[in-house]
Order: sequence, then C-alpha cells, then structure tokens
Amino acid sequence: MTTSEDILAVEGIGIRFGGLVAVNDVSFTVRRGEVFGLLGPNGAGKTTLFHLIAGALRPTTGRIRFEGRDVTGMRPDQRSRLGIARTFQITQPFAELTVEENVMAAALVRHRSLAEMRHAAGPYVDMVGLAHKRHELAKSLSTGQRKRLELARAMATGPRLLLLDEVTGGVDQASIPGLIDLVDRLRETGVTLILVEHNMRVIMRLSNRMMFLNRGEKLAEGTPEAISSHPDVVNLYLGQPHA
Amino acid sequence: MFAPLALQGRLAVAALVAVLLVLPLVWHDTYVLHLIILSMVFGAFAVAWNFTTGYAGLKTFGHHAFFGIGAYFSALISKNFEITPWLTTPAAGLVAAAAGLVVALPVLRIRSVPHVAMVTLGFAEIVRVLLTVFRETTRGEMGLWGIPAYDGFTIPGLGEVVFNAAEKVPYYYLAAFLFLGSVYAVVRMVKSPVGLALVAIRDSQDAAESLGINLTRYKLLAFATSAFLVGLLGAFYAHYILLLTPSSVLGLDLMILVIGMTLIGGVGTLFGPILGAFVMTIGVEAMRGIGEYRMLIYGALIVAVVMFMPRGLVALLDGLGPRFGFGRGVRMATADDAKTG
Ligand SMILES: Nc1ncnc2c1ncn2[C@@H]1O[C@H](COP(=O)(O)OP(=O)(O)OP(=O)(O)O)[C@@H](O)[C@H]1O
Ligand SMILES: [Mg+2]
Repeated sequence: MTTSEDILAVEGIGIRFGGLVAVNDVSFTVRRGEVFGLLGPNGAGKTTLFHLIAGALRPTTGRIRFEGRDVTGMRPDQRSRLGIARTFQITQPFAELTVEENVMAAALVRHRSLAEMRHAAGPYVDMVGLAHKRHELAKSLSTGQRKRLELARAMATGPRLLLLDEVTGGVDQASIPGLIDLVDRLRETGVTLILVEHNMRVIMRLSNRMMFLNRGEKLAEGTPEAISSHPDVVNLYLGQPHA
Repeated sequence: MFAPLALQGRLAVAALVAVLLVLPLVWHDTYVLHLIILSMVFGAFAVAWNFTTGYAGLKTFGHHAFFGIGAYFSALISKNFEITPWLTTPAAGLVAAAAGLVVALPVLRIRSVPHVAMVTLGFAEIVRVLLTVFRETTRGEMGLWGIPAYDGFTIPGLGEVVFNAAEKVPYYYLAAFLFLGSVYAVVRMVKSPVGLALVAIRDSQDAAESLGINLTRYKLLAFATSAFLVGLLGAFYAHYILLLTPSSVLGLDLMILVIGMTLIGGVGTLFGPILGAFVMTIGVEAMRGIGEYRMLIYGALIVAVVMFMPRGLVALLDGLGPRFGFGRGVRMATADDAKTG
C-alpha cells in the first residue's frame, strides 16, 4: 500500500511496558506535505507513538519506514539527520543556554563553526517570534515561549517530517492563538506535520486527515469531519470534558 | 558563554599568566614554588574533571584513577625500560585516555547519577587494589622509588636546565606549561561546537539526541580528553615527587580534594576550579601545623561554600564588575531545573 507519495509508513507497530501494552499493532501512512492529526484520550499512547517514530523508544513489534527506508533500528540522532524532527509534550529546553544557542545546537550537524551555526539559527529564532529573547537563558522562558523555542530548534534541523506533541498544552489561553498561527505558517514551508492536540477545534482546522487512538489501539482514521462524527470518537472522546 | 571574554577579561588573564611566568625569577623560595607547582597540577586536574562533570554532565567520581594510571605507567616504564620521561609522560596521557574510553563505554549506558558515581569510583578502587597487589613491580604501599627525573638539557645562552629536588624552577615551568596547556585545551573545547553539544547533552539528552547530536561520540570525546590531561598530570607528578604509593595517587581523598576545589571555586565555570585549587592547596599547606584537623576544616569549608555560596568563590569576582566575566559560565543544571516552569 506504500506509495512514493507516502513520507511515513508505520506497519503494525507495538510496544509494551511490562504488563501494559501502550501501543498495540498500529498501522498508518502519512502523505508528503499533509497535516496528520493524532487524537485520543489521556494515556492513549500518542506520545509513546511519537517516541517510536522519533526513535526514543524501540518497538516490540512492527516496522517504521521513512521515505521508503526502514528506520526501525535507528537511533534518534540518526533519524533526525534523515529528516525527522520533533517537539516534546513536556518541553526540554537546554536550560543554561540562551535561546539563540538552543537553536544553534540544532544546526550543529550541518555546520562547522559557531559563527555559521549562529547565522543559520537566526531566521528560526525570528520565525517563532523570539528575536527579543535571543540572548536570554532558556530557563527564563514561559511555557508558551518554550514551545516556540522547541519549534525553532526542530525546524533548524531542516526536517521533512515534524512531530508536534501538544503545542498548546499547558500554555495560557492568551498565547494559544499565536502558537496556532505559527503551526499554520510551518505548514506553508512544506514540511509534513503530525500533530497531537487535545483541542478539537484546533486539530480539526489544521489537519487534512486524522487518526483516533484509544488504549494503544487505532479505532478510526479519516477526514476531520469523519473522525468528529465517528461513533467511537463521540463516545470515548467528545463525551469527555476536555473536548 | 560562547561569546569571547571582554577586553578587560583578556587583559586580566594576560596579567595573571604574566605573574605566573615571572614569579620564579623574582621569588626564589623553593617551598613557595613547590606549593604553586602543586596548585597548578591540581588546578589543571580540577579543570579537566570539571570539563566532564560541570560541562558534559558526566558525573564521575573516579578521575583519580587516570591520575594514578598516568603516574604509575610513566614511572614504571621509564624506570624499568630506561626510556626518558619526556616520552613516557605523553604516552601516559594516551594510556589514561584509553582507560578513559574503557570506563566510559559502560558509564554511557547508565543514566542514573549515583550508579555512574559508583562505577567510576569502583574502577579507581580496582586500579588501586591491583597496584597494591602486584607489589613485585609496584612495591605497593611500601612506595615506588627510584623514579627517574626529567633529563636536563642546555638552552644556548641561558645555560643548563637540571631537574632535581633542589632546583624547582625547571619543574615550575614544566608544570606551568602543562597547566596553561590543559586550561587552554579545555577552554578551546568549551567555546567550540563541541562545548555547545556537551552542554546541550547535559541539559537534555533527549532533546540533544532529537536534534541529531550523537551522544556517544561527544561523551567519549569529553571523557577521553579529560582522562588524557589527568594522565599527563599524574605522570608529571610521578617524575616530580619521585615517590609513589597507591594511596597517594589513587586514594579517594585525592578525588575528594579535587571535587572540593571545584565546588569551592565554582563548578561549571572555567575559572572556578583553578581558583579553588590555588586557595585549597595553599590553604591546606598553611594549616599543616594542626595535622589531621585540617581535613576537618577543609570539609567544613566545602559545606559552608556549598550552602552559602553555591556558585563558589568565583561569585566574589562578580563584585569586581560583571565585565570580567570570570564567574560567568554554566552552572550545574539538573534535568529537574529544565522541567520546572
Ligand atoms: N516509559 C514508560 N514506562 C511505563 N509506562 C509508560 C511509559 N511511557 C508511557 N507509559 C504508559 O503508556 C500509556 C500511554 O502513554 P502516553 O504518554 O503515550 O499517552 P498519551 O496519549 O500521550 O497521553 P496524554 O494525552 O496524557 O499525553 C500510559 O498508560 C502511560 O502511563
Ligand atoms: Mg502525551
């Protein structure tokens, strides 16, 4: 079923933590240039699935292909160099480095000198709207600014696939629209996005296609409209207070 | 931290280096020179340890193993095979670096700090016990003596340079060369892409790895570089003191001394460990009169600084004005710091 239009093919992926099957036999493909939304209740396995795609966790079963290449056995840094980037649900800034240095670290692989890295980092710092914080230590940033920093870092690796884990999660209401606009602009750069997002309106608006995950299993896949009216999604997710 | 020092800072560094280099020409007291030689050896040791622990975040407590390996390797090879210490000293650095790689490989797989501490400490203990057990070669705690000093040479126009216990000046300059060379090497690395990668890894391994940074490669590089420098210093120490025992160069108190110097001076800063080494080496000597009690005072001082001046003595230099930038640098950050807020 895999075609050259597909940038990512996940085939029967699964992982268990002791007795808990966190992701169970999940298969899907993501097409180049689309925004693929990942929806599911707390503990559904969304972040775990990101860890599997990015290489931070090794699956117990299944394979992952990126641009036709089997990356299942590769380390996260190898997958990053191939073009897979990610942000973290709980942000992971380099606390003692400045905003600019954080983004420079993302340019380490492709540049030789600090001056070149600084030069390469600049546009990404500007793009996410942190130019005024350029020389501030990352630990001084608010949660929303940390999310922006992670977007800048991830984009500075020059990815073709970007995994965004709850860009608006834990961020104050006032900062959310700005972050969503930013994700919209990322999409225009042509990078393929996989979004995890609890805000139903947001994910429906941004995604071309969606997948619904529950207790580690894929229950539905389709257009945002199809997903939002799917009986399982309505039962298990939309009935819940956070929708 | 990747910006160069301001002009005032550069001038201050140049002035300190000048004082260090001119001092033995004007102050001939061999005891004073001896104390400064030891301060430079331990200062460089502390800088090298701080490189792995403060910058790279590899919290090792067994770095004295590399000091002992360097010391014994150079002493035994030069003594038994009559090879000049000028060759065995750099070779000792390489042997220590190789040992560093051997220890680093298992250490890199462990993410828990206490476990890393125990593995590195255990390695140093194994080396110490081995040196004690093979007493036909090492003479164990009886002490290895008859270690050759560095061969003298003639500098045209200046005269003969002789390395012996009475004549401290040549040793002083050799120590100064090793000290300044080690500090320069570490500063260059810290202020390069390698330093950026190491601090990134220290602050978040997961994020660094997700950005394409090969954790293993950078950690091995940091560990081997640090072990190389410490091995070199150990070899110098052997050919300077001319008497080695496993407890003197491989005892845990040596490691504690170096950790204490770094904490007191300022961990994760470039200048802190050097300041700490000079203050402590000279301070401990000054308290020699009170015997074993000085370790008590030493311990109390570490506790006091950690509690009341967590950034170390370099924080005092900030009083001179931030323009010097000595105290600037990267403090120890924990993963928890990174997660809060
Ligand atoms: N390292 C781990 N060890 C053991 N269990 C884990 C681990 N990581 C995740 N889990 C469990 O796996 C399940 C899936 O967790 P995951 O974080 O992927 O959910 P999620 O869909 O991202 O949830 P949320 O919406 O709350 O972020 C949960 O039950 C979680 O407790
Ligand atoms: Mg999650």
